[in-house]
Amino acid sequence: MPVLEIKNVTKQFGGLTALNDISFNIEEGEIRGLIGPNGAGKSTMFKNIAGFYAPTKGSIVYQGKQIEGKKPHTISELGIVRTFQETTLFQELTVFENALVGCHINARTDLFSAIFGLDRKKQKAAEEKVMEVLDFMGLSDRKNQLASELPLGSQRALAISVALVSEPKLMLMDEPFAGMNPEETNHMMDLTRKVRESGITIVLVEHDMKAVMGLCHYLTVLNFGQLLAEGTPEEIRNNDKVIEAYLGGAN
Amino acid sequence: MMNSLVKKIMFGAGLLLVLIAVPHFLKFHHQDLLIFLTINVLVVASYRIVTLTGEWSLIHAVMMGVGGYTATLLFKNYELGMWFTLPLAGGVSALIAAILCFPLFRMTQFYFLIGSFAAGEAIRLTWIQYVNPFGGTGGLSGVEPPIIGGIDFLDAIPYYYLTLVVVSICLFILYRIENSRIGLTLHAVHWKAALAESVGVDTWRYRALAFIVGSFFVGVAGGLKVHYLGTITPNQFGVGYMVFILIWVIVGGYNKFYGPVIGVIVLTMFDESIRGFDEIRPAIYGAMLIVSILFLPLGLESIPAKLKAWFGVGSAPDEPPLTDK
Amino acid sequence: MELILQFIINGLIQGGFFALFAVGLVLIFGVMSVVNFAHGELVMIGAYTIWLLHAQNGFGFIPAIFVAVMLVTIIGLLMERFLFRPTRDDPLAGLICSIGVLFILQVVATLVGGDGPSKQVPPPFHGTLVLFDFLRIPYQRIFSLVVSVGALSLLWYFLTRTKLGWALRAVALDREAAALQGININRISMIAIGVGGALAGLAGALMAPLTNINPHMGHNVIITAFIVTIVGGVGSLSGAVLAAVLYALFHTFVTVYFGGTVATICGLILMVVVLIVKPTGIMGVRVSE
Repeated sequence: MPVLEIKNVTKQFGGLTALNDISFNIEEGEIRGLIGPNGAGKSTMFKNIAGFYAPTKGSIVYQGKQIEGKKPHTISELGIVRTFQETTLFQELTVFENALVGCHINARTDLFSAIFGLDRKKQKAAEEKVMEVLDFMGLSDRKNQLASELPLGSQRALAISVALVSEPKLMLMDEPFAGMNPEETNHMMDLTRKVRESGITIVLVEHDMKAVMGLCHYLTVLNFGQLLAEGTPEEIRNNDKVIEAYLGGAN
Repeated sequence: MMNSLVKKIMFGAGLLLVLIAVPHFLKFHHQDLLIFLTINVLVVASYRIVTLTGEWSLIHAVMMGVGGYTATLLFKNYELGMWFTLPLAGGVSALIAAILCFPLFRMTQFYFLIGSFAAGEAIRLTWIQYVNPFGGTGGLSGVEPPIIGGIDFLDAIPYYYLTLVVVSICLFILYRIENSRIGLTLHAVHWKAALAESVGVDTWRYRALAFIVGSFFVGVAGGLKVHYLGTITPNQFGVGYMVFILIWVIVGGYNKFYGPVIGVIVLTMFDESIRGFDEIRPAIYGAMLIVSILFLPLGLESIPAKLKAWFGVGSAPDEPPLTDK
Repeated sequence: MELILQFIINGLIQGGFFALFAVGLVLIFGVMSVVNFAHGELVMIGAYTIWLLHAQNGFGFIPAIFVAVMLVTIIGLLMERFLFRPTRDDPLAGLICSIGVLFILQVVATLVGGDGPSKQVPPPFHGTLVLFDFLRIPYQRIFSLVVSVGALSLLWYFLTRTKLGWALRAVALDREAAALQGININRISMIAIGVGGALAGLAGALMAPLTNINPHMGHNVIITAFIVTIVGGVGSLSGAVLAAVLYALFHTFVTVYFGGTVATICGLILMVVVLIVKPTGIMGVRVSE
């Protein structure tokens, strides 16, 4: 059974159709690439899945449960977490504190316990979880640095750490390779594979074709809000419609 | 490590000693002022927790009034003592805040600001309109401080100690909240709401929580005030007072827990020094507010760090805007 | 029937005032995205100018109106240049600066007029127009209505028929896009607050003979302006005008039967309801996502 089913999703803004009757499935444990020229509707698709938008029509089914139109925090509680296009981090907080924000779901505290320090056990568990993730992402020796002091590659790794701390089952990564040099890209690719090996399904919106082709098991191509093609990286590379769309977009 | 703890204890003990000693060196009029100052410290500290989520409400003064009126009505109608009226004052303020959350937190930023202003004015005008039970424009009077163990708290010094104890407990709680994971989440809701939501934070709930907690403590402050002053009127909690809260917070510095506290203390002392210029006093405050926003956006609290940076030790503090666009 | 007609006439006149200052507030918010809390005090300064020049020193009413409009416009321009422009990236900072101005202007008014009771300006136009034997409209009110409608028409012409007005609306729609098209934001902001200030000054001047003048009269003005702005739809000038008239009718009506305080409470509740149900107001346009 697929972990996520997109069923006939349409999203309109006023008269503009950003997504037109899109359907595809994400299988458990895969790295799926969601690609397409600028303005194809990839980010809009992401926002629909993560609950930042509600689809105009159609449904989104996660583990057999309809989730379209639910609030972002409800969807992340169910195990879908997104990372953001830019380096959306708390620049003024340390690496450790940033990751701690991600603990929200699993180590929630109430007012009373917070005031009287009754949540020490939870707090400790949360801190251990954060250290475990920072270790995993190779950030533990930077834990007391401010996020703003990190190089780009580490900032992206931290953004993924924040998401990982919340123990997601499905991670939506929005352009994690943007603006990276080849070395950083390679490192990020290794990290992404590691995340997937830890049992998390990944959907990736990305323009960096080297990363997409190298990482993804299967690709879904959007163009002008339409589903253009689906297939393995090899099939997509040789798909005439896709080539045309990308060349057309380049003109 | 040990050394810093010793330092902290020394500092705390010193501060306590000063706070206990200070009323004995003051004239009667200044003892009065000291009590109001202590209450105002609670007002700004409770306002700070509301602003932590990035929403600047304009209803805080009215919420203090809600607490004040609650204490007054309970005292006058049911002869409840202060030990009941204070928590109930906070409780009713928190309750009203909780109800207001539903309309108000459908809005953010500018709309929230205006919405909170409108809701506050509506409550305040209700006090004016309904002479029974609120006493109309003239308000209510006859509230008395308690007599406990033979000590009459009508006297300024005992009442000051009482206020000091209550305010200290409240400040401690507020400080604990701000420095807990809840405080971290409030910060997250303010600066990167989308990121917070994507890791499961219900931003609405946390905005509401901050607003309710802030309203509870300002309600307690309202109760403390009316028990000493003995009278309450709608105009004590008008826009004028709200603006004072804003001035204290902004001039003191809204970025640190102690910033607003510094603001209210420094400005109250300043206020005493310009007594005799009553007519132009509002203009002086207005000018100060403008100067502070334009030239010292992080408030008085940031002066030490700025001076350090100026002399080349340490870096200048970042100056984030009051709100994101 | 007679009573209702009289209500409507009075409401319309009141609506003219409301529209004058609400439109200014909308203009300033639209172009500069700053809520001018001192807008009520701009109206108050307009009224004080009439009191000082016309009632105290015997200036003609019409020349005094011109002085009031000029004076308030200049105050507005100074606010933009020295307060709103430096804080442009931080709308709340601009708002707080305007609160500072509010206090300063109140003190100025107190210093000029002294404490004591509210001031009155004797109406310069005497007599009452009587229509159908039962409608009584003082000429003073007719004059106010005509001037308000004239000023609003002029504004409408400026915004829709001139290049500058078009640029102003473009900035209100999308400041960054307008700047990219080469529109000078500073210049447009100056014009917006200039026009907004002039309208506020005019409203104050016209209201002077019909109201009590005191340093705190701005408070009611700003509350009314907020209600009208929100109900009309933030950023919608025609919405503000329509809401001004409707709210004035509503307020006049409720005041007569239940008193002014109840009328204002109802207005505030109405405003909160609009904020919840339709935050874009009756004429507002949905801001794109």
